[in-house]
Amino acid sequence: MADLPPGSAAKLKSVALESGATVCGVADATAFDAYAPEKHRPGDLLPGARSVVVVGGAQPREGDWAATSPWVMQTMGTTERIQGVGRRLAQYIESEFGYYALYVPPGTASGDTPFLSLMLAAELAGLGSRSLAGPVLNREHGFMYWSAVITTAPFEADGVETSPACPAPACREMWDRERTTPCLATCPGSNGGCLSGKLENGRAVRTFYDAARCNTRVHTHWVGGFQKVLEETLNEPDRDKRKMLLYGDFFTRSLWAITYSSTNIAQCFECMRVCPAAHGLREMR
Amino acid sequence: MAVFKLDPEVYKCYKDEVLKLCNSFQKIDQPGLSDKQIAERLGLDERTVTEIRCVAERDCYSLDEWEKAIEFKRKATLEWSALALKRPDLKPE
Repeated sequence: MADLPPGSAAKLKSVALESGATVCGVADATAFDAYAPEKHRPGDLLPGARSVVVVGGAQPREGDWAATSPWVMQTMGTTERIQGVGRRLAQYIESEFGYYALYVPPGTASGDTPFLSLMLAAELAGLGSRSLAGPVLNREHGFMYWSAVITTAPFEADGVETSPACPAPACREMWDRERTTPCLATCPGSNGGCLSGKLENGRAVRTFYDAARCNTRVHTHWVGGFQKVLEETLNEPDRDKRKMLLYGDFFTRSLWAITYSSTNIAQCFECMRVCPAAHGLREMR
Repeated sequence: MAVFKLDPEVYKCYKDEVLKLCNSFQKIDQPGLSDKQIAERLGLDERTVTEIRCVAERDCYSLDEWEKAIEFKRKATLEWSALALKRPDLKPE
């Protein structure tokens, strides 16, 4: 912190919260080296990077979780709201402190690979830890969306979270009773789903994860689905059948999703919908 | 000048190995390698590995799995609505 005025990190966090973030933390840029492959580390994107500022928030509301249509959550994806906070922080760091600040683009660097893992950034900034299902959960606020800024400013880094939100007490009880948890029961790897795992000494241990299948669920009406239908259409010799594929609901919904958003919006929430640590079950009137 | 086109035979030969080594799909306690590291290990150039990885990411499942995803989500969402709203009538058949 030698090059920054005292209280700079605290001031930055206060600006983040005033701008709409629910949580804000700082990770040491070099902490990514042990986990992220090259080209996906802060210093690869911004040479001389010293810190990564991470904000989380924009959680779905109880009404979104309780909706009867899965398309509500994917259409109402609130990820863009937290991205706006990230952009604002980048501007603030440059104008207030005079250091380079790179807002981490939410899109992909190549294929499905992100520029920088925002979940890893959130973990290293002490804002949450990986759940058995995969997403990083904050102990107080559960499931949230993330945004990050890489900067050459040497903000003081926060420590990683030592006590994970997952498994929640209700999940421990369910495990003792049924040898499963809500997320594992909803998306079981042994029965066409993505996940397998166990609780061991009160800790969640994942034993299987079908990432490719998870991708078909998280991005059903998205780039992958679009490519799949397009391939099917190109292989279809019958003109009328081609028309059914291109004008049908699947392709149409995929185009709506793709053209209405410039960012990756998740389309499957089922492991998080049932997760007591992600949002609980707060009754509303 | 055309875009970089991967030789389908090269793809078939290296697809499984690239998927196993890369970081596209999170693995338990095993960080993936960068395209450059994979290229060095397999004796390929980096651009070829990037293309193999991108095609393979999409090639793991057929279109049927996308359709199954829709049904899975429809059912799971209604199950939760029935529980959260205390409306057992919303439960899917």
